[in-house]
Amino acid sequence: MTRSGRRRFLKFGALSLAAASCPAAARAFWPGGGQKAETSGAADIRGTIFKNDAPESLGKWSKEGFLFERLADAKVVCGVCPNRCVLAPGDRSVCRSKVNRGGTLYTLAYGNPCAVNVDPIEKKPLFHFKPRTRAFTIAATGCSFRCLNCQNWEISQARPHEVRHRELFPPAVVREALRSGSASVAYSYSEATTYFEYMIDTARLAREAGLNNLWISNGFINRAPLLELCKVLGAANVNLKSFSDEIYRKLNGGRLQPVLNTFTTLHEQGVHFEMTNLVVPGYVDDPEMVKRMCGWIVANLGPDHPLHFLRFFPLYKLDRLAPTPLSTLEQFRTLAMAEGIRYVYIGNIPNHEGANTWCHNCKQLLVERRGYAIPTFEIKGGSCGYCGTRIPGVWT
Amino acid sequence: MLSGSPRPILLAVVAAGVSSVVTQLLLIREFLATFHGNEFVIAFILFTWLLLGGTGAWLAKIVADRRPAGAGALGGLSLALAGLTPALFFAVRGLRDVFFIQGTSVGFYPTLAYIFGTLAPYCLLVGFLLPYSLFVLRAGRSGYSGAFVYMTDNLGDAAGGALFAFALVHLVTPLQAVLIANLPLLGIGWYLAGSGSRFNPATLIAAGAALALLVAGVFGERQSLATGAAQLVHYQESRHGRITVFKDREQYTLFSDGAPVLSTQNQGVAEEAIHFPLSQLDDVDSLLLISAVGGMLAEVEKYRPARVDYVELDPAMSTVEFSYGLLRTIPGLEIINQDARRWLRMTGRSYDAIIVNLREPETFQTNRFFTDRFFALAKSRLAPGGILSFSMEGFDSYLAEPQRRKLSILKATVGRHFRNVLLLPGQSTVFLCRDQPIDADIPARLRAKGIVADYISGYYEGDVTPERIERLNGLLVAGVAANQDASPRLMRVMFSQWFAKFDSSPVWFATALCVLTLLYVSRLRRAEFSLFTTGATAMGAEVLVIFAFQIFLGYIYREIGLIITVFLAGLLPGAWLGNRLSGRGRSVLMGTDLLLMLLLAGFLLALSQGGDRLPVSFYLVFGFAVSVACGCQFPAALQLGGAGNTAAARVFSADLVGAACGTLVTSVVLIPWLGLFPAILCLISLKSVSFVLMAATHDA
Repeated sequence: MTRSGRRRFLKFGALSLAAASCPAAARAFWPGGGQKAETSGAADIRGTIFKNDAPESLGKWSKEGFLFERLADAKVVCGVCPNRCVLAPGDRSVCRSKVNRGGTLYTLAYGNPCAVNVDPIEKKPLFHFKPRTRAFTIAATGCSFRCLNCQNWEISQARPHEVRHRELFPPAVVREALRSGSASVAYSYSEATTYFEYMIDTARLAREAGLNNLWISNGFINRAPLLELCKVLGAANVNLKSFSDEIYRKLNGGRLQPVLNTFTTLHEQGVHFEMTNLVVPGYVDDPEMVKRMCGWIVANLGPDHPLHFLRFFPLYKLDRLAPTPLSTLEQFRTLAMAEGIRYVYIGNIPNHEGANTWCHNCKQLLVERRGYAIPTFEIKGGSCGYCGTRIPGVWT
Repeated sequence: MLSGSPRPILLAVVAAGVSSVVTQLLLIREFLATFHGNEFVIAFILFTWLLLGGTGAWLAKIVADRRPAGAGALGGLSLALAGLTPALFFAVRGLRDVFFIQGTSVGFYPTLAYIFGTLAPYCLLVGFLLPYSLFVLRAGRSGYSGAFVYMTDNLGDAAGGALFAFALVHLVTPLQAVLIANLPLLGIGWYLAGSGSRFNPATLIAAGAALALLVAGVFGERQSLATGAAQLVHYQESRHGRITVFKDREQYTLFSDGAPVLSTQNQGVAEEAIHFPLSQLDDVDSLLLISAVGGMLAEVEKYRPARVDYVELDPAMSTVEFSYGLLRTIPGLEIINQDARRWLRMTGRSYDAIIVNLREPETFQTNRFFTDRFFALAKSRLAPGGILSFSMEGFDSYLAEPQRRKLSILKATVGRHFRNVLLLPGQSTVFLCRDQPIDADIPARLRAKGIVADYISGYYEGDVTPERIERLNGLLVAGVAANQDASPRLMRVMFSQWFAKFDSSPVWFATALCVLTLLYVSRLRRAEFSLFTTGATAMGAEVLVIFAFQIFLGYIYREIGLIITVFLAGLLPGAWLGNRLSGRGRSVLMGTDLLLMLLLAGFLLALSQGGDRLPVSFYLVFGFAVSVACGCQFPAALQLGGAGNTAAARVFSADLVGAACGTLVTSVVLIPWLGLFPAILCLISLKSVSFVLMAATHDA
């Protein structure tokens, strides 16, 4: 190599080296260190449809879709959730539960629940709806979201045929719920909206049999099916995963606005519902965001719908984060109450006073909760046992 | 050529060897911390390193064919390598949160791609340097011995391994080690690059930039570990891994290799881990805790035991646990920093309860606490009526198939030693194992003892209902084979669970690898094929030793530097011997093939008698002997392959590519899926193919 050639080579080498190391090195020296959680990794993890993934035959646990529209070329568009999956023949929906067979939309999650349990209603959590009762809870597979911290990912991110399941068609669900002494049937664990057909048929029968229906959901549903569901709903607990569309897309694979629409619809329809916010450190623990969220709740839904702040634990793919500090939850509870929400709870912390119900008027302890147990209950006829103020909820 | 003397070039080879081996060893720890890796991660690193190294060697040949190799260029490349090393560490740490969402774990293909992508520039350059050095030497003195350069490289590798194992790992942080290990390379690179004038601006800028990066690494090390909003309050590279403590408001969380393991606010998990087993006993006098969950000792204290032995392998870990209030001292507590299996084997104490608080058996290190031999050992140290407990990941509403298989295997394994085994589906799935009856009504037992446990009293009766207990225990499959040290069935299930979690499968990767390997092998000459199999066997044997060490002795992260060092150290005398015998290339290859087969057979026999009874020196001597045999083959193969640059590059590549394949196949396929002993038999078979091929060549 000539001297000038060598010089060029060395210059090139040095510059390349510097250029290659700059972004990473710069980050290392950034004040506070490290990448911001919101800007790390993929910005959008929303699911996509599964091309040519429909089974050869439909089988007994299928039913024509509740709401869909036929398009050209035998395509269909599912109308249950805002994903609005457009499926060509043989395709499977984002939630994995719906397929297009011959130009018709079918659900594959009908009468084949993979999880069946009897739970305390406080576990849902529903604190203002028939406390101390039990809920016969079912779930079929599927979810419209892709939450990185899903605690039920083995069923929410699975196809119906991939899991063990029971055969429990709607009349059998009602029979078993009554036999178990439950006051309600809950649709939970995975995302109930994805097995809407199964849920609505069961819920209608349950209502006729005097059972309540509980919808535990991410709230990602279109207005038309939701209105139909509201006719038979007793109560709902809907996750408000954050108040940021960016975080919805990044952590949950969903969108915020349709969830907010669900809250307003439930409120309009007079359904008792409670909201759950899982406080994920680094993502959902921004007090300003929580303040905005609570402001929106008060302005659009009023002060009476209970709000639960839940402690995060590392789970599923989001398993390299620390749990939420207790003081964060306490701060958010104080903040939400200062914004005007009357009933704000802290969850996933044993025996914290933030799990108790205090009268918003006289501040007396009305419901003391120790886990699922309720040693103190001072609500009489739906009102405070001390000052007589009506306490929102369904108490008997 | 510098003044006609080969010495500076050979010094550059040694310095590159030192730098690359220290870097490789540090990177294994770095990636394990970055991905909280299982054995796949170690395999990926070694595979990528060797494969890209082989590619770099091949590129050196192409470059040298087009442009005469020169000492100045070698100097520039050495400077680039020195500067690239700290940049590589920054990249590994910093780019994770660029490519992956912060706080998430990462699946098979993204891990592989990340390792491949971040290592590529460095490994290509390392692979390039060795043959290029030979070409520079041959440019000055044609016919310069390739075997001698190979030996020189071995010397550097062994020196680097020794430097790491005996000094750096104990004394300095990773980026301080990088600085130290690269200073010789920086010096010799500057010397060679400036052979015309060492003070010309370009040379000075290049050397200065490399030095600046090395120094910046040291000062930026702590910041490069910060992630998210929590404050990093403690950072330590212990001999067993990376320990970090993050403070978020009042909460301290201890991370081991990047995963949260203990938190100051973890009451539910602590109550389950302690009260589920201890509530079964009438009196708790002595207790053995293997590893910890946050807050557990406060729960233990409620039973007022006379003696509590807490065994934690890593002294640094237990020190941090107590100093940040994750655990608190209680009367009767003794902290024992030792491998728990070794402690159980050596101690004369017996316990009323042994509580294992380890994570899932996703590595060989943890798997060894869920095997038939471990359960037998634990049983032998339990007092009559004593109880053993351990936990697996919990489930909320549905027991997925891999979990079901995992729990079934565990129940079958522990059920060989205890009359009663009950699984309780709490936050974790807790196994209670004893010969006396087990009562599932934990709250009632605690009430009878007057012990207050807030979480259990509030949640147990809603979560751990008799129906759920019955359903869980009824779901388990009877008659499954037990989990063994040498045949880790649980790990296979854990791998399946890992793939299921990320909705991926290794099949595409395995298929592509098989096709490419077959294509490559079909183009090899016989001597090269022999060296390919030698590379595969050598690295396969190295992986065998690493995993066997992990399985039987359980503290690989402390000793991995030493093991890799003995493997490197043996290459040098082997190469020297091979060089001396290079006139008898074919006989040497056949003889050493035979020796390798015998060594592997001996290793198998020794392990089958109980690997945990073998001294550490046995593993080291075996590794050294294998590497002597492998080192001996290289000069012989070079001699058979021909003396030209092309032949040398082909032989270097065959060795490295074979080593890459041997690493991956042994660690990812043979040991986890077939078990340790069948894996050894496979390596013997591979070598026997090479032996037969060489014999057939001789006959022809």
